[in-house]
Formats: sequence, C-alpha cells, structure tokens
Amino acid sequence: MSDRTTALPPGAPARGPGLLRAFIAQPEFGPLVLLVVMLVVFTAINPAFLSLTNIGNALTFTVELGFIALAMTMLMTAGEFDLSVGSVFGFAPVVMWTLFNTEILPLPLAFLAALLVALVIGLANGLFVTRLGIPSFLVTLGMLLVVRGSALWLTDGFPQRTWNAGEQWLATVLVGDFYIGGLRIYMSLIWFILLAVMFHYALTRTRFGNWIQATGGNPGAARNRGVKISRVKVALFMVSALMAAFAGIISSIRVSAANPNSGTGYELEVIAMVVIGGTVLTGGRGTILGTVLGVLILRLMRNGIVMIGVPGLAYNIFIGAIILGMMALHSGLERRHNAGV
Amino acid sequence: MAETLVEMRQIEKFYGRVHALRSVNLRIERGEIVGLLGDNGAGKSTLIKVLSGAVAYTSGEIRIKGRPVQMRSTLDAIANGIETIYQDSALVPQLSIARNLFLGRELRKGAGILDRLDLDRMNAVAADLLKRVGISKNIPPTTPIGSLSGGERQAVAIARAMYFDSDLIILDEPTNNLGVAETQGVLRFVREARDTGHSCVFIAHNIHHVFQVVDRIVVMRRGTVVADDLSPRTSSIQQVEDIITGEHMAA
Repeated sequence: MSDRTTALPPGAPARGPGLLRAFIAQPEFGPLVLLVVMLVVFTAINPAFLSLTNIGNALTFTVELGFIALAMTMLMTAGEFDLSVGSVFGFAPVVMWTLFNTEILPLPLAFLAALLVALVIGLANGLFVTRLGIPSFLVTLGMLLVVRGSALWLTDGFPQRTWNAGEQWLATVLVGDFYIGGLRIYMSLIWFILLAVMFHYALTRTRFGNWIQATGGNPGAARNRGVKISRVKVALFMVSALMAAFAGIISSIRVSAANPNSGTGYELEVIAMVVIGGTVLTGGRGTILGTVLGVLILRLMRNGIVMIGVPGLAYNIFIGAIILGMMALHSGLERRHNAGV
Repeated sequence: MAETLVEMRQIEKFYGRVHALRSVNLRIERGEIVGLLGDNGAGKSTLIKVLSGAVAYTSGEIRIKGRPVQMRSTLDAIANGIETIYQDSALVPQLSIARNLFLGRELRKGAGILDRLDLDRMNAVAADLLKRVGISKNIPPTTPIGSLSGGERQAVAIARAMYFDSDLIILDEPTNNLGVAETQGVLRFVREARDTGHSCVFIAHNIHHVFQVVDRIVVMRRGTVVADDLSPRTSSIQQVEDIITGEHMAA
C-alpha cells in the first residue's frame, strides 16, 4: 500500500506517533471507529445482535445496496452521481422475469438481456452528461422517472412471480446459501467481497483508477494530459447501471418477487453510504474500503436499533445524525490536513 | 543559437469580429528563454493558446524544427514537444506528485486484467526528479499536490516538462501569487530547464521577474508583435515599459 501514505504531512517522521497520525488522517478512520462503537453498544444492550443468525441475515440485506455503492463510489470520485440506480434496481428484474415468465427467453439469456438493458440506460445517462453537458443530477433524475415509469407500465404495477427460480442453476450461483459452522452465508456475499476487492484494485492500482481520480479532481488538467474524461464518465455510468441491475436481480430472487416499485429511495441511501465512508461528493477522492464500512454502518444501524428496542420509524433520525457527524469529522480532518498539522 | 525550434508565421486570429492576432510572427531558438510581454488584451495569452493547441487559429503557419505542423488540440502540442504550464490548472490536487507527473502517460506493468500502475517505478523516478529540480525539503513523491505550496507545484509542473523532454516549455504567469523566495525558486527552475537544452516562453506581469531570467524580450500590443529583439542586457526596464504602453511612439 505504498500509495496510502499520501496523508502523511510532508516530512513527517514515519515512526510510531507518525504512523498513528497518518492512520487517523485516513478517510476510513472515522467510519471504522463508528462501526466498532456501534457493534459494542448494540451487543452490550442486546447480546443477540452478535448471534450468527442475526449476522447472517444482516449481511444478506447489506450486500444488495453494497453492489450499487461500489459503483457509486467510482462515479462520485469522477465527480458525477447517479440518481437512477434505485429505479434500475426495480426495472432490471422486471425485464428479466417478464422475458422468462412469458417464455420468450430462458433464464440465463433473460438475465443477460436485463443487464444489457441496464448498460443502455447507463450509456444514455453518460452521453447526456458528457455530450450535452447537462448536470448528472438532472439527467439521472429524468432517467429515474423514465425507468420507474417503464417498470410500472410494463407490469401494470403488479409484481412478477419469480418462485420457479428454484430449479435454476443461475439462481443458485447468484443467491444460493451454504453454512460455515452455524453461520449461513449467501452467495451474494461472496460476490460482494469479490467485487469490492476488484473495485478497490481498479481504483487504486490501475491507470483507469488514476484517470477516474484525475477526472474528478481537475478535469481541465486531466484533459490537457490526454485523459479521456468523457469516456471515463460514460464507462462509470454504465458500471453504475449494471451494478444496480445486478443487485435488483439478486434481490428479486431472494424475496421471490420482482416488484416494479422496489428500490424506491435507494439512490439516496447509497449516496449516504458512500459519503459516510469518506468519498468526497465533489469528486477527486474516493475509497472503496470506506464505502464498505459505510454500507455496514447503515445496514447494521437499521438492524441494530430495532434489536435494542428503538422504534424502526426512528431509523432516519440516526442515519441523518450519522451523515452530519461524519461530514463534520471529514471536513475537520481535511482542514487539519491542509494546515499541515 | 543555431537551430530555430518554433516559427509562427502570419498568424491571424478572429474571435467573431474581434481581430485578436494580426499577422503575428514569432521565432523561438533552441535553448533560449523568451519573455513575452504586453498589456492586458495585447494578445499574448491568445498567442500562447494558439501555440499550445488550446485555441484554433484562423490562418497562418506554425513550423516546428522547420516542419509545418497542425495544432488542433493540446495533445498535438504535447506530441510536438510543447508543454504549457498554466497556473494551477496543470495538476490534480488530490493525486500524488508521482501520479501527477505521469498522468496520461502512466508507467504500467503486467498484462491483461493484471495490467496495473508501476507505482514503485513512478515513485522512484519522481523522487529522483524532485532532487534534480532542487526541491530541498524532503518531500516524498507520494505527497498529494494539494498539500504543496504554489512554488512547489510550479516546480513539479516544470519537472514534468523536463522529464518528458519537451523542447519548449510555456510558462503562463508562473510567478503570480508567489512569495519572494518561491519566485526565486521558479526562476531557478526556468534557468535549469534552459541549461539542460529546453527553450522557454515566459509570460509574467511583473517585468522585474522577466528581466531576471530571459535572454530576449518580445512585446505585443493590440494583437501584433511590436518588438522582438530586445535584450534585458541592453534595454532598460523603462524602455521596455514604454514600448508596452506605446509611449515611445508618442515621444
């Protein structure tokens, strides 16, 4: 991780206190502390929080939004964001199960067709933003309505049945489960871990990742150096839609229904996960590790406050407070960092 | 000064009806530092944008090492060995010094899906380069540009131009907003660049900075070159100022 030392102030000694300071200055430090505090507090109040059943359940729900958050981290690092992910999350499984249930395509091909539709949606988002110069907020807000409307129109508002997925190998590969000791693990968790490692590698170790950061950090300088910033952005909008579709399909198989309304409001929850993890809303700097922590924080919070007896309806109060607290922490660290402390 | 590096002939530029450049001729020899001076609106920044590929010219010809070239984009200019260092716009603050040095021309290793940045080599080259341009403080190459001072950023941008062996380095107001010591640092880098065989075009509002470092002064007024062979050794600052403002004609 030779590149992670970037938070070291110039000339800082790399000895014990210096290392500790560098660690504290990392954007992932705040979310990590918060996650540990949450685990301790929830477990102290209700020891069942750390039970294998609860952890298994919480992780299952966690990863579905996590897939989208990984892609959103890349997109936000490049200085854009995508509000249409929640509607793609609802639309892609509707496409897949409609094609399958009406016997137009076998399941694996219907799966690929749904992913292809998502790629086209992402491409459209990307072209509107890069070719016409319309802010991604407006483009993806429009796309949200178009895609959600398509899902409702296609299904007349009724959920598509998915319960005959049971005999399909694809369903097993995507959401099958197995036990490690008493812990029930779903395949979707394995996929999430694999993808998180790949995204982290791509963002920090490859030329594409370097271009993503440059695109968000200083687009003019990046373009002058030959970075194809439009292509970077279009590719990331496509990845974003693809991951939203993938997450929606996994979710539909797990709950045995493709509801055209599912995923409503997910876009803001995903963006919250990403910024809590330390990725900057204005672009230039992003962290996949932080996003994974942000995903865990939001999902475990939802799970934990119910288990310790806080009314579930109060959930948003906690999430809002966490976002505000984390933003204050990140901006404080940023100022300290810039002051060379 | 044997070899002519850049020759701009009869360059015309219209912005709509505004005649920004009027039949401009400019020669730059290998290994010389040319100071480009002129009042606001004299056309020096348009001329530089034409030479760096950022702005298309209406008519005229650009030759590099005697060969006519087309300048359609900044990439064309870079490919022809012309590197432009704008204030602040040349670097990405969030990326490290090493990643900025190699932005767009990253060193890589591995093949297929293992194709990745060769960060060790990029950092090693950057550390070596920082030493060569004489950044005396011990700044690791993994430091983000955002935590460097203005002068250090200019030094990194100049170091990049030197590393990629640009024939011509254009510095647009490199000493603006810099302190005295930092300005001296930048001027030292410019001399260092010349001494290693690079040519420079140096644009600055502060005529004293220009006098300290350039071999030849070119003055523009109202979209045209009015003097191109002033030497800081034989002309006084007052004389040059008079030419910039047009006072010498009135006298």
